[in-house]
Formats: sequence, structure tokens, C-alpha cells
Amino acid sequence: MTDWERIRKDFPALERKINGRPIVYLDSACMSLKPRPVIDAMNEYYLRFPACGGRSIHTLGKEVSEAYSEARRKMARFINAAHEEECIWTRNATEALNIVARSLRVPKGSKIITTSLEHHSGSLPFVEKARREGLKLEVVPARSDGTFDIEQWKAAIDSQTSLVSIVHSSNVTGTVAPLREIVEIAHDRGALVVSDDAQYAPHHPLDVQFFDVDFSALSIHKMCGPSGMGLLYGKLDLLKEMDMFLTGGDTVADVRYENGKIIPEYLPPPEKFEAGLQNYAGAIGSGAAADYLMSIGMHEIERHERKLLSRALKALQEMDHIRILGTDDIDLKTGLVTFTIDTVTSAHDIATFLNDEFAVMVRSGAHCAHPFHYQEGILPAKGTARASFYLYNNDTDVDIFIEGLTALIAASV
Amino acid sequence: MSDLSRNAQCVLRILENAESLTTSEILEIAKRPEYSDICTDCAGGDAFIAAANELVSLGLVTKRFGKGGYRWSLVRRD
Repeated sequence: MTDWERIRKDFPALERKINGRPIVYLDSACMSLKPRPVIDAMNEYYLRFPACGGRSIHTLGKEVSEAYSEARRKMARFINAAHEEECIWTRNATEALNIVARSLRVPKGSKIITTSLEHHSGSLPFVEKARREGLKLEVVPARSDGTFDIEQWKAAIDSQTSLVSIVHSSNVTGTVAPLREIVEIAHDRGALVVSDDAQYAPHHPLDVQFFDVDFSALSIHKMCGPSGMGLLYGKLDLLKEMDMFLTGGDTVADVRYENGKIIPEYLPPPEKFEAGLQNYAGAIGSGAAADYLMSIGMHEIERHERKLLSRALKALQEMDHIRILGTDDIDLKTGLVTFTIDTVTSAHDIATFLNDEFAVMVRSGAHCAHPFHYQEGILPAKGTARASFYLYNNDTDVDIFIEGLTALIAASV
Repeated sequence: MSDLSRNAQCVLRILENAESLTTSEILEIAKRPEYSDICTDCAGGDAFIAAANELVSLGLVTKRFGKGGYRWSLVRRD
């Protein structure tokens, strides 16, 4: 049985007190806290072998190259990729999604499908691709509770569809999409699927072979890893066919100079997508984060978060003045709850009050998901508040969060 | 040149013309054309309110929580 209180002690930030209160950090859907093993792994790079990987032949260069390659293997294990070369380091999921949008060639006049529930990073790269390349773009609307009607997917994906971009787990409603069914429909009709796994990967077991997605985008900073690190997974044959996103050093096997012409010979994936000197400390920290989460077990983490979410939802549902966005079916959710309170004019008041009075840290705004807020009749200026739970949260955190909301409502009604 | 961020300068300019405002009123006013030269980062509002809170820390603005939520006011020095 997992000792969750021992796990809390791995996170130095939780040792802080603000205005005499312990931190209640409920903003992991934006950025997770970092455990000591991740910090130590990154420090080891800076303290022991802060050199260039993949090029310098000296001892420090060899050590960083080995650590960098090992980190990729760890990430491949974490998502169960068939080949480590299918894992491309990026700055975040946004960059990963942009690589797909920019570098994947799709037939002229074809259709891209996305949803009303996407994070802007899951929709805008494809909105822009459609605009640039004269493609059609269709939006499948999420239901008000954040779930999808599979019949709408069957109707939307046709033989003209080249690509589907879908958020696997919503950063607003926390609902988990029926990805495997959607992938099956898409593949039957010849379309590829890119899955935004920024919110799914940190909280559930992500098996890219099981889901059979063609591309998957991860933000490693949301899964206990360093900020500025993300991952693009792509099936190897697709990555080989794609254009480069950035070009330059480290992407080429050779660059010949013949008859006044510069002729590049590009490397296969992953190198063709990783131009220039890389964030070695970040990659090594990412591998450590994957190791850390796997050592606890993603099923265990999923269960723990859903237990906390269940406690929070039960309390919220008993309170007046609160509107919860998204389904209350725990089995369809990642560990987050988004809500409004009708006694305050803006969700930012909720985040400010909880922070100032209770050291409870939640996110407020439209969470880079304006279309879904408009769909639900919530103007971005009013916004919603979001509390997101992770492996280092406990029942006490939930109770303080509820205590804070109770005090807020009493003071604002 | 002010050391304050553009968001913070925007909040100050809005509050100069009002006794006190709610959070959503500030965000709505920030979108008006007359503030478009300075108020450009208020779409989601979070960065904007973070700037307002910074002004509270600097003693330039006060906020008071009550019915309806926070009301923000400029600290006026005679």
C-alpha cells in the first residue's frame, strides 16, 4: 500500500508556510511541484557533467550523452512507445502539437477535426494549418458536462478527414475522452489522430500502443518534471515522412557543398526534430520524473486522485451558490474540479481569496480554453476556478480548500 | 519609464477614474478602446489580477473583500 504521507515529503515546496499556513497546492494541472529525485537528477548534470551531449568525445560529454539517451528510454517506457526514437523532446505539449501541425503533410482539400473542449494549444495550431493550407476544419462540440457523443464523431469523421486533434483529458472539465473508440473510427476512415495528453499523462497510465494514437503530446512540467520540457510521441513511419520543424546543428548526417550548393542529408527521428544544443538537464530531469511516477504506479496515482476528487465533489455538491463544470462521474475524470460561485463577480476573486486567507492555490480564468467557456455562457472575464489534485495532496488539503470556500461564500453573500 | 508592468499601469489608469471597482468591472473596462494602447493582456484576466495584487503589495492599491467579491481602489495621496 502506498504511503502517501511519505510521498508528500519528497516535495520540498510543501515544507513552506505562507503567513503561518502550510501550502495547499491545487494548481498541478498548470504546473506540478517537483520531487527531490527530479531536482537531484538535474543538479547532478549541472554539478558533475555539464557538457554537450552527442558531440563532444571527452568524458563529461560521454556521461551527458549516456544520461540523455537513458532519459529518452525512460520516457518511452513511461508511455509504452514501441521505439525510443518515437519520443521527441520539446519545450511543452504546445510545441509538440505545433510540430504535428507544421510538419505533417496532409492531402490538399482534406478536413481536420477538433473539438470545442480543446486547450488553445490543441486547436489553434490546426486552425492555422487549415487557414494556411486551405483545408476544411470541423469542430465536434463537447456536451455541457465535458463528455462527447460518439455518434457525432461517427458523423464528423469521413473519408475526406486527414487528421483529428483531440484532448484526451480536459484541463477544464477533467473529462477523459473515449480516445480508443475515436481512434478506431478515424483509422477506419483513413484519418490520423493526435492526442493532447498534457493532462492525461501525469494522472493516468498512458499506453500509446493501446490507444493506437498516431501522435501524442505531453507537458512534462505537469508530471513532476522540469519546466520547459515536453514530449512529442509519433509513430516512427510517420515521423520519418514528416518535414523538419526546426533545422540546424545536430539534425544532419552531413551537409555537402557541391557546385556552389549546400546539400543537407538529414538524420532520422528523433534527431531530425531536435535542432541545436538541447536542454540536457531538462531531459535528464524528465527521465527522473518518469521513473519517479512509475515507481509509485500510475494506477495507484489515478486511484489516489479520484479519492480526493470524490471527497471534494461531495462537499462542493452540498454547498449553495456553486456551479460545477463537467461530469460528476469519477470514473470519467482526471483529478480536477472546475466551478463558479455566484456570490462573486469573477473567478479571480476565488483564487485571490483562497490564496490570501488560506494559502490555498487554485487557478482562475478561462484556462486557455475560451471556446468551451463561451459554449457554456461564461465570459472569460468572469472565468472559472479550478482545483486540481495530484499525488502529493491529501484529505486535509481538500478539507482546507472546502473551509476556504465556505468562508468565501459567507463573506460575499 | 515606469518600473511597473503594462498590466499594472493599466490597472492604475483604470482605477484613477473610479472610486472603487469589482474585479470583473476592471477586466471589462480594460477591453475598452480607450485603454487599448496599454491594456493588452487581460483576455483570461489571471495575469492582470496578479498585477493588481502586486500593486496592493506596493501600497498603491487597496482591495477589500465583501458582498460580491473584491473591490479595488487607488490609494490617493493628497
